[in-house]
Amino acid sequence: MRPVLSDRLIGWILTVGGLIGALAAFVLTVEKIALLKDPSYTPSCSINPILSCGSVMTTAQAEVFGFPNPLIGVAAFPVVAATGVAVLAGARLPRWWWLSLQAGALFGVVFVHWLFVQSLYRIGALCPYCMVVWVVMILIFSYLTLHNAERGHLPAPRRLTGLLLAVHSTVPLVWLLILISLIGVQFRDYWSTLI
Amino acid sequence: MSTNLKVTLSVLGAALAVLLLIVAVDLTEPKPPAGAAEVVREDSHRLSTAADGKVTVVEFLDFECEACGAAYPGVEKLRAEYGDRITYVVRYFPIASHPNAYNSAHAAEAAARQGKFEQMYVKLFDNQAAWGHTEESRAPVFEGYAAELGLDMAKFKVDVASAEVAERVRSDAADGAALGVQGTPTFFVNGERFTDAPTYEALKAAVDKGLGE
Repeated sequence: MRPVLSDRLIGWILTVGGLIGALAAFVLTVEKIALLKDPSYTPSCSINPILSCGSVMTTAQAEVFGFPNPLIGVAAFPVVAATGVAVLAGARLPRWWWLSLQAGALFGVVFVHWLFVQSLYRIGALCPYCMVVWVVMILIFSYLTLHNAERGHLPAPRRLTGLLLAVHSTVPLVWLLILISLIGVQFRDYWSTLI
Repeated sequence: MSTNLKVTLSVLGAALAVLLLIVAVDLTEPKPPAGAAEVVREDSHRLSTAADGKVTVVEFLDFECEACGAAYPGVEKLRAEYGDRITYVVRYFPIASHPNAYNSAHAAEAAARQGKFEQMYVKLFDNQAAWGHTEESRAPVFEGYAAELGLDMAKFKVDVASAEVAERVRSDAADGAALGVQGTPTFFVNGERFTDAPTYEALKAAVDKGLGE
């Protein structure tokens, strides 16, 4: 039986997702350096009081591990992209490779949700490049997990996997819609001034 | 069309429909009729009252808001300069994300019940940096200020915790919200929303205009 998620599909998602994530992380790093050189610098993504990188990038949460968070993305997203390219080129990767990637994606997706909560409920501002990373991370994690479950790299109940695979793109979609709703509710007063 | 695409598009369509519905409800929601909310009420706290009633400045503020603290020196300069030639009104608009926004407003209102609103207002802003922006309740600090102002402490403690004081603060904030106040400080000069940055110069210009000078 042909897999629902073809090598082509998963290859493209990892390639494009990895590249976009890497680009966003790279831009965030460059902005961070500019901000360090000149504290009065206004990052290119500080658009209004809600959409503002500057206020997010200067918080303690922006360097949880003692160094700027985007450095993790600069190092890790290219690995995702390279995996995607390898799959597109027809490489057959061993199970341990897929499981390592899964572990990395799990860390990434948990981390961006922690940042989401901090951004929404502690800092009270959204940083556009960070949100690009959130979206990409959710897409990569959803598809990587479905792929690993389908190919048997990850143990998972057949019925559930089959059900989710049949409607695979709704998984990240519903996930993102929930996050969008939370943003909509939290900044309700602000959005209503835009109508 | 594949099942996946159908389901995905349906979910997306449903989400868009909900969004449109919310926007539609928001747009058609009747705006509160003019006059229901008032910029100044009988019970609003006046720091000064002009006999001629020509110029009334109303400030919706939160004692813990940094922008209010930044505007405060300019406001005090303006008040010192114009004194009783203008009516200066302070109204509560606590911002929920400030941990002590309500505590400080309640302290000011409790002081007002002993005729010391202005003194507490000054104390809270003069010392904002000392008590602002901490998670824990600063109610004990405010009690200290009340004691320094020579208030009847037994009455102050009862008032601070009372439902009437809380309601009085809420009613100011409700008026503000109905008037479209979203952040602090928001100023009104003679009933008109003051949209410039509230610097001493800008406020002075608006006051002078109102006085016809």
